[in-house]
Amino acid sequence: MVTLQLVGSLRKELADSLSTCRVLVVGAGGIGCELLKNVVLTGFKNIEVIDLDIIDVSNLNRQFLFQKKHVGKSKAQVAKETVLQFCPTANITAYHDSIMNPDYNVEFFRNFMLVMNALDNRVARNHVNRMCLAADIPLIESGTAGYLGQVTVIKKGLTECYECQPKPTQKTFPGCTIRNTPSEPIHCIVWAKYLFNQLFGEEDADQEVSPDTADPESCVLWDGDIKRVSTKDWARSTGYDPVKLFNKLFKDDIQYLLTMDKLWKKRKAPLPLDWLEHQKLTCPQGVTGTGLKDQQVLGVAGYCQLFSRSVETLHFMLVDKGDGAELVWDKDDPPAMDFVTAAANLRMYIFSMNMKSRFDIKSMAGNIIPAIATTNAVIAGLIVLEALKILSGDVKQCRTIFLNKQPNPRKKLLVPCALDPPSANCYVCASKPEVTVKLNVHKTLVLALQDKILKEKFGMVAPDVQIEDGKGTILISSEEGETEANNCKFLSDFAIRNGSRLQVDDFLQDYTLLVNVIHCENLEKDVEFEVVGDAPDKAPTRSQEEGKNVANGNKDSSEPSTSSEGEQNWHFLIYNCNLAKIKQSSLTPTTTVTNGINKHTQCVQIREVRQ
Amino acid sequence: MIEKEDSIISEEEAAQYDRQIRLWGLDAQKRLRGSRVLLVGLRGLGAEVAKNLILAGVKGLTMLDHELVTEESSRAQFLIPVNNQGQNRAQASLERAQYLNPMVEVKADTDRVETKPDEFFLQFEAVCLTGCSRDLMVRVDQLCFEHNIKVFCGDVFGYHGYMFSDLGQEHNYVEEKPKVVKPKTEESNDGPEAKKTKIDSNETTMIKKTACFCSLKLALEVDWTNEKAKSSLKHTPHFSTTQSIVFSPFVPLFFPTVLLKFRTDKGRDPHPESFEADAMLLRQIRDDVLEAMGLSSDLLPHDFVSYCFSEMAPVCAVVGGVLGQEVVKALSQRDAPHKNFFFFDGMKGSGVVDYFGPK
Repeated sequence: MVTLQLVGSLRKELADSLSTCRVLVVGAGGIGCELLKNVVLTGFKNIEVIDLDIIDVSNLNRQFLFQKKHVGKSKAQVAKETVLQFCPTANITAYHDSIMNPDYNVEFFRNFMLVMNALDNRVARNHVNRMCLAADIPLIESGTAGYLGQVTVIKKGLTECYECQPKPTQKTFPGCTIRNTPSEPIHCIVWAKYLFNQLFGEEDADQEVSPDTADPESCVLWDGDIKRVSTKDWARSTGYDPVKLFNKLFKDDIQYLLTMDKLWKKRKAPLPLDWLEHQKLTCPQGVTGTGLKDQQVLGVAGYCQLFSRSVETLHFMLVDKGDGAELVWDKDDPPAMDFVTAAANLRMYIFSMNMKSRFDIKSMAGNIIPAIATTNAVIAGLIVLEALKILSGDVKQCRTIFLNKQPNPRKKLLVPCALDPPSANCYVCASKPEVTVKLNVHKTLVLALQDKILKEKFGMVAPDVQIEDGKGTILISSEEGETEANNCKFLSDFAIRNGSRLQVDDFLQDYTLLVNVIHCENLEKDVEFEVVGDAPDKAPTRSQEEGKNVANGNKDSSEPSTSSEGEQNWHFLIYNCNLAKIKQSSLTPTTTVTNGINKHTQCVQIREVRQ
Repeated sequence: MIEKEDSIISEEEAAQYDRQIRLWGLDAQKRLRGSRVLLVGLRGLGAEVAKNLILAGVKGLTMLDHELVTEESSRAQFLIPVNNQGQNRAQASLERAQYLNPMVEVKADTDRVETKPDEFFLQFEAVCLTGCSRDLMVRVDQLCFEHNIKVFCGDVFGYHGYMFSDLGQEHNYVEEKPKVVKPKTEESNDGPEAKKTKIDSNETTMIKKTACFCSLKLALEVDWTNEKAKSSLKHTPHFSTTQSIVFSPFVPLFFPTVLLKFRTDKGRDPHPESFEADAMLLRQIRDDVLEAMGLSSDLLPHDFVSYCFSEMAPVCAVVGGVLGQEVVKALSQRDAPHKNFFFFDGMKGSGVVDYFGPK
C-alpha cells in the first residue's frame, strides 16, 4: 500500500506544482470570473489575468466578482481585488489591456505553464491560439452561450489547434438586399446600423444605404456614374433636419425604388411613408401589459417620433464632439439604440414586415448572447479539471467536453469526447502552412489584401508580405509608414499575377503563411476574394435562427453572425446521433445549423464533418 | 404552484437581469422573484448554489449552517473572508452573499437543521440540502413532498458529486417551442431572388407539460439483486478497466452510496488529516456496497479512495451549476427538469442524468 499525502482533494505532488506554476487567464467576464474563483480555490498561486473591458450593469447577473459600485471600472482589476478578499495569499497580476497588444509576445506567453481562454470573440481566440502554438504552451479553450457550453484542450503537435477546422464565417447580406429588397427584419436592422454610420459615424463604402442602381435585378439602363453626394454631407447640408432626413430615406428613396419595377414583379412593393400624414396619428402611450417597457412595439407614429428625437440627440452629440468627429454605435448608448430601433422599424413597416420591440432589435443589432451564471460555472469548473490533467502530465486524458441543455439518449448531460489530432492541412499549425486565394489582381488593392484577407480572414495582426519573385520585393511592411505608398496600388502593379506566391509573416504570432494567388475575373458580385478549399457560404435555410443573432466575431459589428451556435462557434454534435454516425453523414461544413444556441432548443448542435 | 408576482419589473432589475431575461423570459424571472429558498450547508457546494440562486434573482435565500469556520473551510469557499475562524459558517458567508445581489433577501441561520420544526420548512418554495446525512435528507424530503415544496439534495466528495431532485408528484412546467411556419408553395417557379415578404417566423408557442417525481426514500430503496435491473445494460454508464467493461445501472450511485454511508457512520466526511483510517473505512464500505451490487471488488482502481476526499472546487462549481439551474427551472416552471439524479465524475468529465425509483 502506497502512502499517499493529500492536500485537500489533491495529491501532494500535484498540489505542489499548482502552487509554483504560473497560469494566464485571458478574459475576466462571464467565464473569467468563475474561472478565477476556481483557479484560486483549487490552489493555483501565481495567476495573471487580462481583460480590456470595463464593467457594465448587464454583467452583474453572472460576473459575480463585480458589484454595482464597480460599474465603469476595469474587469481585470476589480476581479483581482475581489479574489484577494477570499484568498489574500494568491499572487495575481491584472492587466487592463488587449491580449493582442504586441507587448504580449511569445516570450510573455512562454512564462506560463498553461493558458486558459475565457474570451467572447473569434479574433482574440485565433490570436491566442497562434501565440500558444508559437510558445508551445497548452491552451484550454472554452465558450458558452445560453444553456450550452464546451471546453477543449489545444496542445501543439498533439491536438487540433483552434483553427484546424474551418469555422462558419460571419454572414453578410448582399448589398442589394440591404439597400433595395429587404425581406427579413434583420436586413432592416443592418440597414439602420449602416445608416447610423453614414450619418454620424465612420462612413464606409461597403455600408451604403441608398437605393442600389447597380442591382442586377433592377435593369436600370443608365450607369451609376452620377456623382453622388455622401449621405453625411447631404445630411449636414440640411442641418440634420429630421423631417428632411425622414422624407428622403422613407419617402423619396422608396419612391425611387418603386421605379425599378422589375424588383417588384414577384415581391410586395414597399409603401413610402409621409412625415405629415403620420404626424396626425396618435401613438399608444404608456406601458401596456406586464412586459418590460422595451418589449412594447410602438406604432408607426411612435417610431416617427423616436426617429426624430434620436436624430436630434445624435446630431447634438456629434456637434458637441467638434469638427470631424464621429460617433461609434453602441447598443448600450440609448440614443444610438433608439435611432436603430426607429429606423429599422420604419423600414420594416415600409416593406410590410411586422415591427419589433426595442428589446428584440437590441438583441439582433447588438449581437447579444443571452447568458447566465450557471452555464459559466459548469464550464469554468471543467476548465480547471482539464488544467489539472495537464499539470499531472496526463494530457492524453484531456477531452473536449460539451455541456448540453438536456441529456442525450445515453443520458449524458456532459459529453466528453476524445481530442482530435492536428489537421494536416491546417493553415495555421501545419509545418509549412499554405493557402490558395482567388482574386482579381487588377482590382485588388494592396490595402485590401492586408486588411480584408490577411488580417480579417487569416487572423494576422501585423503582417509582413514578401513577393516570391526572385527579388524578394516587399509588398507590405508591418512597420508603420514603410509601405504606405503601396496601399492604393493594385496587386498587378507589382507584377503579381496568376500563380504568384506571397510569403506572409506575422512576427508577433511567429506565423508564416504562404499564399498562392489565382487570378480570377468572374467572382460573384460583392465577393472580393475566395479561399480555395473553403466551402462557399450558403444562405441559411428558413430556420428559427433567422433574425436571432449570435455573435461569433465582433459584438458590435454591423454584420450579424450566421451560425446559430454562438460564441463558441465550433464543434457541433448532431443531437440524437452518436459520433460514429456523424462521420459518415453527408453533411458538409456549410450545412445550416438549425436551432443551435437558442433558448427554444434543447441542444441541437451539428458536428462539422471533416472531408 | 409558485404564483408569479404581477408587479412590474423595475428598471434596475430589467437592466441587471437583461441577459437572463433574454434566455428564459420575463415570466420565468417573475416567478423566481416570488420564490423563497432554504439552503442547508455552506461548504464549497453550498456556496456555489448560494451564488447561483442569488444571482438568478430569487426573492429570498436563507443559508442555514450550524458549523463553524475552520482554517480549511476558509480555503474551500469564496464567500467567507479570511480571518473568520470560529465564526458560524452561514453568518460568515452572509455579507459577501448579499453583495452578490442586493435585490435578494439573504439571511443566515445558525441552527442545526435537525432541530428545526416542520413549520420552519413550510415558508419556502424550495429546499436545498447539502452536507446532510441520508436519514435527514429522507426525512426533510418526506415532509416537503407532502407540502409541495421542491426538494434538492447534493454533495461533492473529492472528484465526485451528485444531485437529486424531488419536484413532487406532479410538477407542471412549460417548454417554449418555435412555431413552425410553413411557407406558401403555390408558385413553383420562383427564382432564387424572387421572394415573398416573409412573415416573421420568430414566433414561439408554450407547451405545457408535467413531470412526476418520487421521494428520496423510494429512490434509494433500490433492489440491487433484482435480475431485471442488472440486465438493463444498454445505455448506462459503466466501470471500465483495461481488461474488462462492466455494465451496471447502479454504477453512478456507487460513490454517493459509499460516501453517505461513511458520513452516517462517522458523522463527518473523509478528511485528509485522517487519511489512513478513513481510507480503510472507505475500502471496507466499498467492498460491502460492491458485494450488495453484485460486482467484484477488483473492478475499481485500488486508489479510488484518494479521489473522494474534501470538496474539489471545480467539482463544486460543476455540481453547483447544474443543481442551481435545476432549482431555477423548478421555481420558474420552465424547461424539462432532470429526473431525478445527476452524477458527475470529475476524473472523466462525464455528467449523467439517471432515474432511480419506482417506475
